[in-house]
Amino acid sequence: MFRARFHRLLLLVALLIALPSYGASDHQHHHMPGMVMDATGMVMGGNSDRLPEDCKAISAEYEFTVLAGTAYAEPYAASTFGFDRHEWRVEPCSRITINFSNEDDVRHQWMLHGLPKYLYDRGMFHMEASGGFSQTGTFIVPSDNKTYLVHCDIAQHMEKGMKAQLIVGSGSGDLWSIPGVSADFQRGAVVLDGEKKYWLLFSVLMTAILCFMTIKKFPGD
Amino acid sequence: MRRFYRALTLLLLLLVFAALTPWQWYPRDWRVWYAGNFGAGSYLQQAATIPAVPGDNTEEACPPDIKGWRKSQTIAGVDVSASSNCLADNPHAVAAFVKGTNNVGHMTLMKSRLSPDAVVKGRDLDGDGDPDEIHIRLEVFELNGGSPDLNVPVTQYAIAPGVMPGLWVFAPKSAGMSTENFESLLAQPGLRLPSPAIRVEQGDKVIVTLENTHYMPHTIHFHGVDHPFQTASGEGNDGVPVISEKPVMPGRQRSYEMQPRQAGTMFYHCHVEVQAHVLMGLNGMFVIEENRPNNWVQTFNIGDGYVRHSSVAVKEKYDREYDLHYQDLDKELGAKIQQTNDPRLITQQIHREYDISQADFEYYTLNGRSFPYTAKDSLIVTAPGEKLKLRVLNGGSEGVAIHTHGHKVTISHYDGVEHPEPARITRDVVWIASAQRVDLELSTVDDGLHSYGEGVWLIHDHQERGVTTNGFGPGGNVSAIVYERFLQDDGWPMTFGMAWQNFLTPGFYQRQEDGSGATTLLPGVEASGPSNLRLLALAVIAGLFVGFIASWVMKGRSNV
Repeated sequence: MFRARFHRLLLLVALLIALPSYGASDHQHHHMPGMVMDATGMVMGGNSDRLPEDCKAISAEYEFTVLAGTAYAEPYAASTFGFDRHEWRVEPCSRITINFSNEDDVRHQWMLHGLPKYLYDRGMFHMEASGGFSQTGTFIVPSDNKTYLVHCDIAQHMEKGMKAQLIVGSGSGDLWSIPGVSADFQRGAVVLDGEKKYWLLFSVLMTAILCFMTIKKFPGD
Repeated sequence: MRRFYRALTLLLLLLVFAALTPWQWYPRDWRVWYAGNFGAGSYLQQAATIPAVPGDNTEEACPPDIKGWRKSQTIAGVDVSASSNCLADNPHAVAAFVKGTNNVGHMTLMKSRLSPDAVVKGRDLDGDGDPDEIHIRLEVFELNGGSPDLNVPVTQYAIAPGVMPGLWVFAPKSAGMSTENFESLLAQPGLRLPSPAIRVEQGDKVIVTLENTHYMPHTIHFHGVDHPFQTASGEGNDGVPVISEKPVMPGRQRSYEMQPRQAGTMFYHCHVEVQAHVLMGLNGMFVIEENRPNNWVQTFNIGDGYVRHSSVAVKEKYDREYDLHYQDLDKELGAKIQQTNDPRLITQQIHREYDISQADFEYYTLNGRSFPYTAKDSLIVTAPGEKLKLRVLNGGSEGVAIHTHGHKVTISHYDGVEHPEPARITRDVVWIASAQRVDLELSTVDDGLHSYGEGVWLIHDHQERGVTTNGFGPGGNVSAIVYERFLQDDGWPMTFGMAWQNFLTPGFYQRQEDGSGATTLLPGVEASGPSNLRLLALAVIAGLFVGFIASWVMKGRSNV
């Protein structure tokens, strides 16, 4: 624990030295709306005032603190990474603030997908916190009942536990393989492309029917 | 008479059924017999010149360079030379590696997809105009790993068409997603096999921090790099879990310190359960460049291959520099991370059950790809009268016998140590055992010894398994020394033999029956399966046929 804190302190000192040089070398810092980036991480797609087209007003305010790290994988046997919660419920048209706190020594993300693309670049609200750092970001959800995917997109972090869901209103059902919420998707054994599958079933059925009819037609003739 | 008609009906049904059945549904022996007795339908081209799976499955050899990554450019004051290959390294990342991610602007950093602290370059300690404090951060990524929800690999990286073995690699600390974008399953260009070549300058004070973003424990051992056994604070620095230190657990980090006094081509790799972790891809080249004034070195060479910003010392002697990393892979080992999503089972299978003494190796890669993908970014492009430096590492578990067509190369360094000039050996097969490095001098002076003239000359492992992919060729680590006159504008080599569309289809490397071309010589193989209506007709006839037989048999019984 002491080592980790020491490393964070080192990183912080490095940042304090390094940060002014970013500012000096580049003046295009906030070229994308709602985007902040530095060595502590980044927030992309933040939106605290622009309402979705289908909302007349902000219906409710939420503030969640999300803790992330390997420690939160403990309750779930088959995972390595995790959030302290894997499900959040909010009202449609509400404003949500996430305080994302990374307790590991490596970076993690809290990335939400499926927001309207006219408000959010590529439909994403994306937070990334470097090891030992926190990020805060705000976004507004539209009015439809929908379940949004939340995950960490570092290779294998979602697969190994960093997968969660944000349920707006009554939601649109649970996603697969959310720790503590839903099971893994059952993988199919046979892969046939959709159309072919139905034709094959239809053909087998026809074979059986014709076989039966022919037997009926010529009984002991 | 009725019996005669019944037999005739059955025969007719049988004939129609046979006619409707696609040729490829018949046993191969029957088709060979048929072709032997009645001949093939018409003249057919030689197998290998027919596209294996015609139509949509053939991949584009060389995608257009939309982002303009291939051309020579100056970014953040760094000259990035033109890259002749069809897939060029991201020039923004190259510039960030040269200047340090702490010294480039926001846009360059965004386009490089690197974290601001991936390569931090600090003070100039010897006052010669280049930074000597280098802090590198490495992360660990899983490519072609499993998923609880999909039955295809995720964070995909294909070493050859349709070939996606499970891999673990080191990569400079990045920012944002591991995939190209949210809709894509493909790994972003900075994440790939091999673990990238690292470059520092002789005498630099180097810190390498391993940030373990993976779900298994890892370390880094700096093989051949001058480093103390313990850091200044007394912690283990050799990266060996059984001797010097505990491994770095998932979500944790550790820093290694070194100030290499000797220059040379060295090696780094994970030292946890080496028989499996190194073989999964956790190994890379570590180059210490000779100290020169104003020597800003390119700290990472992603995917190895052509060095777009060579060091001062290399430019003094050579026209171009290439990093060549050979590695073999075990298909069965790689598959273990795809078969289950449970880290406990993966650990059990890889750390306890995997038996390398019973293993064989299916994939042979050069710079993380096998033929024909080697032609995308690992061609050695040159021109007459040049001198090239090839740094070669064998990161694999078997030796490689590198053979250069059309050239004899001179070995200037063994394991990073310079060989005295009068004693140097010039030859056309260079044997490199596991973990060994050689620096080769490739001269393109057409004197019948060093070079036999311009052309597209293969370079490959001459142990024949090295030129196969899953035991099937052409594949493996085959690449080529290509003279500019023989290079097309898009970076693809001119070829004068068999068409390459064959090799650019996933079916070819899955040994699809007709993909190899072998059975296309037999009569009438159809490109795709039967149409839906034909399938239905076959079913109807089969139904009638079985019905007739059944009614016949039942009638016979009722008479008894």
